[in-house]
Parts: sequence; C-alpha cells; structure tokens
Amino acid sequence: MVDLEFYLEYYDFLKQEKDNGKKVIAFLSHDNIPEELIDAAGFIPLRLIFSGNDELMDKGAEYLPTSTCSFALSSIGLFAEKPNKYKFLELIDYFIVSNHCVSDICSSEIICIYFNIPRINFYVPYILSETGLKYYRLELIEFKNKLEEIKGSPISNEDLFNSILKYNDFRKKISNIKYTNISGSKKLELYQKASLYGPKILEIMDFNTSNLEQAHQTNNKKNIILTGCSIFLGDDLIDLIEEGGGNVIFLDTWVGDAYFSQQFDDTWLNAQREKDPIDILKEFFEKNSNTDHIVPNYINFKISKINSVIKDLKENIGISKIGVINHIIKFCDHISLPKEQLKEELQAIDTPVLNLERDYSRASHGQLSTRIEAFLEMI
Amino acid sequence: MTDDVVNFTYMLRLAYDFLHGGRKFQIKSNRKDKKLVSIVFPFSELVFAAKAIPIFPIRLEKYKVNTYLQALNSASSVFGWKTVTNFLGFVRKFDVLKVFDGIIDDLIDSLNDKYNEMYDIGIEEGISNDFCYGIKSLYGMHSSHQGIYDSNVNVIIRCSAFNKYYESLKRYHKNLIWLDIPPRNIGNALELCTENVKDTINQLEKLTGNTINDNDLRKYFRISNECKQLYREIIYDISSSDFYPCNPATFSEILALLSLSFQDFNSDAETYLKNFRNLVKEMKERIRKKIGKDVSNMPRILLTPRFGGWEPKSHEYIYDMGGRLLYADWEILGVLEPVEAYTYTDPIEAYAKFLMNTTTIGIGCDQNALTDSYIRVAKKMNVDGLIFTQLFGCHSISNCYQMLREKIRTELEIPTTMITFNKIGENLEQVKTRLGAFMEMF
Ligand code: SF4
Ligand code: SF4
Repeated sequence: MVDLEFYLEYYDFLKQEKDNGKKVIAFLSHDNIPEELIDAAGFIPLRLIFSGNDELMDKGAEYLPTSTCSFALSSIGLFAEKPNKYKFLELIDYFIVSNHCVSDICSSEIICIYFNIPRINFYVPYILSETGLKYYRLELIEFKNKLEEIKGSPISNEDLFNSILKYNDFRKKISNIKYTNISGSKKLELYQKASLYGPKILEIMDFNTSNLEQAHQTNNKKNIILTGCSIFLGDDLIDLIEEGGGNVIFLDTWVGDAYFSQQFDDTWLNAQREKDPIDILKEFFEKNSNTDHIVPNYINFKISKINSVIKDLKENIGISKIGVINHIIKFCDHISLPKEQLKEELQAIDTPVLNLERDYSRASHGQLSTRIEAFLEMI
Repeated sequence: MTDDVVNFTYMLRLAYDFLHGGRKFQIKSNRKDKKLVSIVFPFSELVFAAKAIPIFPIRLEKYKVNTYLQALNSASSVFGWKTVTNFLGFVRKFDVLKVFDGIIDDLIDSLNDKYNEMYDIGIEEGISNDFCYGIKSLYGMHSSHQGIYDSNVNVIIRCSAFNKYYESLKRYHKNLIWLDIPPRNIGNALELCTENVKDTINQLEKLTGNTINDNDLRKYFRISNECKQLYREIIYDISSSDFYPCNPATFSEILALLSLSFQDFNSDAETYLKNFRNLVKEMKERIRKKIGKDVSNMPRILLTPRFGGWEPKSHEYIYDMGGRLLYADWEILGVLEPVEAYTYTDPIEAYAKFLMNTTTIGIGCDQNALTDSYIRVAKKMNVDGLIFTQLFGCHSISNCYQMLREKIRTELEIPTTMITFNKIGENLEQVKTRLGAFMEMF
C-alpha cells in the first residue's frame, strides 16, 4: 500500500504542472475517457482512484443513499472530507461528468455542484453499433471543443497524434508487468501509480521490466485472477488475499490490465499519421472489449478474456491451479448483476470462482478474510 | 368503495384487461400467429406497428380475483359491459353483492402479492438482493415464463442496472430487440437516433415477418398521443378538481393502474384508447353530476417515483389522514410528450425526436434534469406536498432527494418528506408514522 509520502509527492507533481500553466481535469476512474485529448490540450488528466475506508464512504452517504456503490460514495467523500492526505484535490480545475454507470453520473454531478468544480460532460453510448460509434465521435468532438475553449487555442492534429503515440507507448510498457514474477500487491501499486501519473511515470520511476522474471508456479501460493471492480488506493483487499495465502497473478480490472492492455499496433498507428486522430480515438473505443460499460456482450467478452488469460497462464507460463475472484463493490450495477452468469460459465470449465461482494466497512474485514481463505483452500 | 367502482364501467374494463387480458397469450393459439413481445416502458408503438403483441410481463400471471372478473366478463359478453355494471350498481343498493366490495382494492392487492412473488423468484434466480424492487420482480417474471415470449424490447436508458438487466435476459430469450437512444442531444444525435429506431424496426420486421410502414407507425403514434393527452387530463385537470368522481383512495388506485397498463396499452391499443376515452368521460360526467366526493379540503400530495416499486398502502394512509395522493411518474419521466405524427413528417424521425426529448427532460442523463422535471410537474399540478420514495437499490431515478429537497425549498416551498422502500408490505408501521408526521404539516 502506498504511504503518505506518495501523496505528498503527487501533490508536488501536480502543483508543479499547474505552476507551468496546466489545468487539472479529474474524473472517476473508469474507461473510455480520452486522456489523450486532455494531454494534447496540455492539461493533466487526474483519475480518481482513492477509496477503501469507512470514513470517505460514510461522508459520501450524506449526498447519495447508502445503497450507492462505495466507490462513488467515497469519491464524493473525498471532497466533503478533504483529508489532508488528498490535498492535491484542491488543484482540480474541471471535473468530467460521464455515464460509465449511473452512479458515475450522479456522484460526478454532485462533486461539481456541491464543491463548485466546473463541469465538462462526456457521455458514452451503451451499444457498440455503427451509430454508437458515430455518437462517440460526436462526444469526442464536443469534448475537444470544450478543451480548446478552456485552452484558448486549437488542439492541433499533430499534438493529438503525438499524445496518442505517447499513451500507446505508456500502456505497452506498463502492461509488460502483467505476467512477471512480482507480487500482486506490487503490481497493483505500479498500476495505481501509473494510473495517476500517466506517461510521466516512465520519467519519474525506473520502469524497466526487461529484467523482471516471468511468473512461475510456487508451491505455497494460490494463484488468483482478480476481475470485476478495481482495487483503489486506500483499500487493503489485495493484502487480505496475500495474507490468506493467495497471490493475484493477474489483475483483470480497470486499475490493471483491462486498461493497460488496450493498445494499437505500432505499424498500424504510424500509418494513421495523416488521418484525423479523432478517428483513432474512436477506434480505441471500438476495440475496447474489456469495458463493463457496454451491452449486450459484456459478459461474453469477459468470459472469453478470462479464458484466454487462463490458457496463457497454463500453456505459456506453466501455472495450472488458478482461481478467479470477482471483486464486486456492493451496489455496483455493472459487476453485480451478471455475477452468477460469470460464475456458472467459468465453473463449467472447472475454474473456481469467488464472487466477493463487499463495501468498505472495516467491520466486514474479518468475514472477508474468512471467505477468501476458504476459497483459497479450495483451489 | 363499491359504489365508486361498479359505476366505473370503463375502469373495470381497463382493470379486467390489465389483469386478465394477458394470461390468454400464454396459449399460442390465442395469439393468432402474432409474436409476443415483452415490454417495460411505455414505448410499445413500434411493436403494435409490427403486428406483434406487446405485453408487460406481470400480465401473464394468474390472479386470485379472476373469479369475480371472470363472472363479470362472461356476463358482459352476453349483456355488454355497461349493462352488467349498471346492474351491479343497482343490486348493490340492496346490499346483495357484497362480493364486489372493494373490487379495485382486491385487484391491487392481488397484483401486489404477485409482484412480491415475482420478487422472491428473482432472488431465487440469483439476482442480488441489492437491486431495486422493479428489477428483481421483472427478473422473476421472465424466469417464470421462459419460452413464452418471442422477444423483449430493450430500450436503453441511463440506468446502468436496467441496461445490465436487459443483457441478462439473454438467459431467457434467444431474441432481444434493442433500441439505443443517444445519451445527449448534440450534433447530429437526432439523425443517429433515427437510424437506431430504423434498426429496431428492422429487428421487429425480422422477428414478425411483417413490414412496418409509415401509416402503421402514424396510426399507433396517434393512438398513443391521444392516450397521453387523456392521461394528462386526469393528472392535471381531474386530479385538481375540488370534487372527485370517487373517493380519493380509489382515485389513487386508478392512477396506479393506469400507469401500469399504459406500458403495453393492455396489448390492444385501439380498445385501450376507447376505454381510456370513456373512463375520462365517465369521470367528468360523475363530477358534473356530483357523484363522488367533495375533496376541496383535502391536500393534494404527489408521490414519486412509483415506477420501480413503491408502497401501495401509502394512498390509503394518506386518505385516512385527510389527504389525496397522486401518481404522475410517466409525466415526470417525460414520456407523455406527444410524437409529432403529422401526415407530412417522417414518423421515424418524429419518434426519434420524442425519444431524444424524453431522454433530455425526463429519464434524463443527469440529476439536474431529472430533479427539474420533478419540480416542473409538481408546479404544474399545483400540489400541496411531495413525498419522495427512496427505493432501495435504485441508483438512478430515486436517489436525488438531497438535490430535489433544495429545489423544492427554493422553487416550490411546499412540505416534502422521503420514505424508503424495499418490498411491498415491509415496514408498514414506519411508513405510516412517517406519513403521519408529514400530514401534520397541513
Ligand atoms: S457502480 Fe461500479 S462502475 Fe459504477 S462507479 Fe461504482 S464501481 Fe464504478
Ligand atoms: S431507475 Fe431505479 S427503479 Fe428504475 S430500474 Fe433503474 S434502479 Fe430500478
């Protein structure tokens, strides 16, 4: 888990960027927000990935009912509570209201209204059809216009293309850690830091993955694919898994591989140089089969992704005993509703699945550990 | 309540069609080769135009009160509905037909029991307890009638739980028909929405083997427009009258039944419109003749949202406490806006416009728009108070009480309260206490 010093460093980083005239554009950490456009405008995208304790969750419940997901509540709680540790939140200039799920809309809107942060809308279609894609393109253009208005000058195609290249390279480098032999908690920490710093992480940290060893089967650890909701900064779920004797070998979540594995082939990308870069972003959205936002094929995509990871781990890495923990933040519509189907279909191919539904209350910790341990024993 | 009800010929007809008219479709031969398409929102026009049968799933169930209504219906087929209900009204004067006392109460009660039963099936089927009442019970309905529907129309809304619920119906239906609505009206979104409606029409044509032409569409848009207008007449004009055609609790029940039956027009748009027209006529006639109840001193309270689940005992309590409770969800959610189905317009584009408008002002893409809509309707209805249902597990239309309360304070200045709801019949004492405290403000 990251320490206080990390937050202070992050504050310094953002402050320095702001002092250089950059604006900070924040949003709830889900997919489909085109950070490349924010970057091309010369601004800093700030993914809100901070939650995991009672206090923030309870504070958020003053604005939305307690039957709202703990992540959305905690994100509101961050602004209501303003804990010192998150001083960098004061540096936010704009907040994106997006419809990844309805709780994303509601909590982002509340943050804008009650904490006086100017709002930018960015809405995503629910169906990946031809018209859905055309609509996504409309939103990209609206978003670009808004950023240009804030910036006071146009975003050139060249700048946008370069940002796309930069983010593509960044995602590629980070995604290299996916099957390495570092612990799940360490991997998560890297993913979390990379989510916050974006491509800058490559300058700040020594991020050489070439000397990292590939994962292999260890006798005493049970290997887990973690899917479903992300584990955010401040949540110790991964520690509970490790303490129970497990190792999260693969993080199939948004703060994890689901985001970093979204990449373009370099040759293809370079061939797009003369084209409208907005269409590359549209393509990015179209190829994003990891998203839990879209219907009607989310669960099929999810199952085939997990199957291919299992296959990879078995055939290429030599790890055979694998379990899946489907992390469900209580009241998360996207992950909770199809949970039984996911479980049934994976169990049908002999993969043990634990639907781990929880909120951030400390009181449920003991019960969580017990469930995790019991599951790990089964693998 | 008998006097209220038995003279309401067309109310009985609507109620009968709602509760009994759907069950017959379980038998394939009763469908006359038409496809059976389940639907939840009042967007059934396209299904009618495809010569398919739209059905709100709870209508496939069997109800306890069927025996009363069955008798009534059999008699009606010989003597006609009007004669039968007039006869009942006459007999009632001699206190012979006690069995019909509270017939609407019975209907509502058995409907509620059924909803709870479906809710339990939904949970047994693996839907997490954390979802709203509506989703759990709908899931139960689909699971208990697997294989009967030919399809389900999935109209995309901002509620992510509902969109995922649609996806999960794949488990029960081979064929799902989708209708995507762009979340915001920007750029050429209307054009895209029109494309989406065309696509839905294609899906329906493929399912039914029938062609949908512009005239079919216009016909059903006009029927639905007139129903909407009549609905508004009840919500705005009749409900604000100082004299009610029945006692206010029955009036609330009529509003509840209308909002339920409005989703599929009882599977027969023409008959529904005829009954609706006559119902409004009946209501006005009774008011004119002063048959009913003077309600001038009873405060008018709007309860919302009702869609998704609400405690039906509320209107009884409010009535006992001296008030009258009104429901107007479809108006708040913007679906009572007309479709501009003029002869010279493209009906598909007109429908797309309607859908985009509904999304913008009602079902909405943010809480600000939604709370504005609550305020807009409350203002227009000129209600004296507002009760907000905070439905457990709803992350969309019933979670904005904080924002709404502030708007009520600054823009309406009427008393308001919030009641929580999880399942019908749960926490009745709490609801009663809360409503009692609220009614003391009047
Ligand atoms: S409900 Fe799920 S998808 Fe939505 S904000 Fe919460 S965790 Fe994210
Ligand atoms: S809007 Fe609320 S009540 Fe309606 S389906 Fe969604 S969660 Fe349920």
